[in-house]
Amino acid sequence: MRDQIAKYTAKLTADRSALADGIAFAAQDDTLLAAGDPVLAALAADILGRLNSLALLIARPALPFAALLLARAPGTDSCLVPQDTETRTFLHDIPFLRREELAKDPAAQISRLLANRKGVIVEGVGVVALGTITVEQAFINYSSVFHSTFVKYLQDVLQSGFRLPGEREAFESFRNLWLQAPSAAGLEFRESLSEEREEILYEVEKVGRYTVERGLVDSFFGNISVRAGGLIYISQTAASLDDLKGCIDPVPNDNSSTTGITASSELLAHRKIFEASGARVILHGHPKFAVVMSMLCESGDCPVKDCWKDCPQVRHLGGTPVVAGEIGAGGLAKRVSPVIAATGSAIVYGHGVFTIGRQGFGEAFAAMVEVENFCREEYFRRLDRLQGP
Amino acid sequence: MLHVDLTSGSCRRKAIPAELLHAYLGGRGLGVRFMRDYFRLDPFHPEMPLILAVGPLCGTTSPTSARLSAVSRSPLTGTIYDCSAGGRFAWRLKSAGLDLVFITGQSRDPVVLAINEAEAQLLPARPLWGKGIKETVCSLQERGSVAAIGPAGENGVLFANIMMGEGNSIGRGGLGAVMGAKGLKAVVVNGSGVTEIADRERFEAARGDVMRLFRASPVIFGELGIAEYGTPALVDLMAQRRMAPTNNFSSTFFEKSGNYSGPAIRSECRAKKDGCYGCPIQCKKSSSQGEPLPEYETVNHFGALNGISDLHAIVRANTLCNELGMDTISAAATLSAFGEARGLFPSAEEVPCLLADMAYRRGTGELLSLGSRRATEQLGKPELSMSVKSLELPAYDPRGAYGMALAYVTSNRGGCHLRAYPISHEILRKPVPTDRFSFSGKARLIKIAEDVNAAVDSLVACKFAFFGASLEEYGELVSAVTGLDYTPEALKAIGERIYLSERFYNCENGFSAADDRLPERFFSEPGSSGEGIEVLPIERDRFDEELQKYYRIRGLTREGTFADPDFLQRQP
Repeated sequence: MRDQIAKYTAKLTADRSALADGIAFAAQDDTLLAAGDPVLAALAADILGRLNSLALLIARPALPFAALLLARAPGTDSCLVPQDTETRTFLHDIPFLRREELAKDPAAQISRLLANRKGVIVEGVGVVALGTITVEQAFINYSSVFHSTFVKYLQDVLQSGFRLPGEREAFESFRNLWLQAPSAAGLEFRESLSEEREEILYEVEKVGRYTVERGLVDSFFGNISVRAGGLIYISQTAASLDDLKGCIDPVPNDNSSTTGITASSELLAHRKIFEASGARVILHGHPKFAVVMSMLCESGDCPVKDCWKDCPQVRHLGGTPVVAGEIGAGGLAKRVSPVIAATGSAIVYGHGVFTIGRQGFGEAFAAMVEVENFCREEYFRRLDRLQGP
Repeated sequence: MLHVDLTSGSCRRKAIPAELLHAYLGGRGLGVRFMRDYFRLDPFHPEMPLILAVGPLCGTTSPTSARLSAVSRSPLTGTIYDCSAGGRFAWRLKSAGLDLVFITGQSRDPVVLAINEAEAQLLPARPLWGKGIKETVCSLQERGSVAAIGPAGENGVLFANIMMGEGNSIGRGGLGAVMGAKGLKAVVVNGSGVTEIADRERFEAARGDVMRLFRASPVIFGELGIAEYGTPALVDLMAQRRMAPTNNFSSTFFEKSGNYSGPAIRSECRAKKDGCYGCPIQCKKSSSQGEPLPEYETVNHFGALNGISDLHAIVRANTLCNELGMDTISAAATLSAFGEARGLFPSAEEVPCLLADMAYRRGTGELLSLGSRRATEQLGKPELSMSVKSLELPAYDPRGAYGMALAYVTSNRGGCHLRAYPISHEILRKPVPTDRFSFSGKARLIKIAEDVNAAVDSLVACKFAFFGASLEEYGELVSAVTGLDYTPEALKAIGERIYLSERFYNCENGFSAADDRLPERFFSEPGSSGEGIEVLPIERDRFDEELQKYYRIRGLTREGTFADPDFLQRQP
């Protein structure tokens, strides 16, 4: 398990979601081991020893958003409820512990909350995430909390501004120092993909890596596909987009084989997009500003309550359609496919972005970069308008 | 609960202590607890209980939770044994105001136990004795939902099932034979009571969370998933992964498996959706005539394991086993072991006759009715029984999934895939993928999964629900229903208690590390490599090392036994 801990420590540093000197893992097989920052590692071991799980990660997020959300929350609150798809579907809510609640035995308090949830925010400590069966799962849960708190904090600031001393300065630091505009500069794409299996697999693996490296997904989620003859080559469910070797399923168009039962949960959406658009490739990521902006609705007095699945409107962000729809078999597939052909991209409420390429991934990747950059610029334009110079 | 003594003919209702419900939930857990004073008895001893139990979610709209558990001691394995099944029976039992039926004794003449809200009575069943499942169900169904045995159960076939009226089965370990030994042909139940839900709003929120996760799971509601194709959706996948047991596990790839794949069954049998009461997944499939179609394990074992590629012959074998009340996995695996022993696997034409002989214990069937371990021992070739603790292995070759290899031997009911179900992560990538050709971390992982699944079996929910949801959401459901808070961690602790109680019973009955063994074949022969996948023999030293880790994690001795003889006294 030490190799897994080293692998995911490196990932947390590479994706800039955690401070390099603020990461610790604990994992247990027949013995319990801990690695990383000594103070956090000792705490991680203490917590994990009280839980019937395999791994635990404590990390100090590279951005202060989780801590700021906790500080902004009313004193009576005990959890955050972000509205993005990842949280609603997998995390449900994110409990937090204030410093004064830690008392004499922080491990006891934290393990009490982790007995019921995948991740916890602890004031003065960071994010604590559980991996019930693997080290990787702890990394995924940390990344989901990081993504959800990023999205919620940006939403909240746009809605109600800065409230705390030093908050504006922290945000400006994020904006000017941490944030990097995604770009396709320097990346190489095959202009026109053939139908040759090896070429397709090579290109999919490469573009998956690009998507992670350029920050267009949270942790490594998203999916990617190519249509070739009677097959759709699509990334598998729970596959790391930066590590797709051996994780791409060839799925026959006529469903004559069920080998693709392990394909991405968005197989249906990909199939319908191919049918509707005639595209060769599809890229799906969760770029953060697109997720934030997709949930910004100005329709005012609207009877729809569960917007993420029930909103019948097609809104637009910089010309890109925004539609509602739950993931998998929840309805996303039938909402995206009618709107994506005309624009080459579509945003799903609170979830992410689909883009297509008619010949290869260059077009799809550029479209995703363009959508995210528009959403980022639009976000700051609105924020600046609200906050003033 | 209802206590039925078949010897005296008495039926008495009494309360289950609340602390036992809280500590063991229901289903498997509660049944295991009620076995505490009886687990040493021979499975066919008149006082050996046969326990039928539902879980706390039964009677609500909790997805996949209208399931019945049966618990006793298996005549096939000698271990404590439980199995669950869908159908309407569990829901009606709960509606009759019962969480558990505790059946002991032995009736001199065959009887049917009829239960409703007002009373329970034993009805003469001599005319039904010897009848098949369909006729038995047909004659009783106007009284309610039926659980019955067929000729196999009456005749003591060691892998006889209890069949539910809707075609579901309580299978594998021979509890049908335990029921038959008691002279109990069937149980029929009806009721109209309603299960109270303590916190409706919390319940609906949790139910919504579960359904959202089902929709997000490609294995459940994906267009190639089990809701569409049933468990035979796994046929193509296991072929591609080179781990489909073939010719009595002598190879792991069968070229003609496409004949009985999910799409082939849909096309050839015009399969339609069917399923358990209260389950939104509806993974069972039936023919256009309403006949239940075979599951993945069944098509593989009557197919590849015996070298048979004729789908219709496989469907007929499945139908015949259901009618006779006999487990399809053990029946097919026993035929396969017999086939290898005699140098000729049974042909498609020969199978129906052999199955009937098994059920009626005539001719060669007398030997085959004992299961593969006893049969191959009598044939002088015990190495050909592909079983663990006498339970025939299902359709996941352990050379293709090392967690599965470990889980087969640590299972408390013998070679079963469902106790830890590592196929979920090693093959189906849920909740996250693990390396199927590595033992790293698997001892801890199997222990955790066994605890989780013991809780799931006690709720009683379907394992397939956990291709999407987790104990996080089911903990919310059971908390909302009962008004008591159950976190996932608390449920796992209950699962651990149940697992260890079972292991303790088994150890008291003589089981130890010597029984936690895979057949030699898996350590000495490779599987069928291909498509860039190399299927090597399992490395024995590494396997043994991981098993010892597992014992340490469980707090057991090197022999896999308990250092503390008073373990049970410390349990509620």
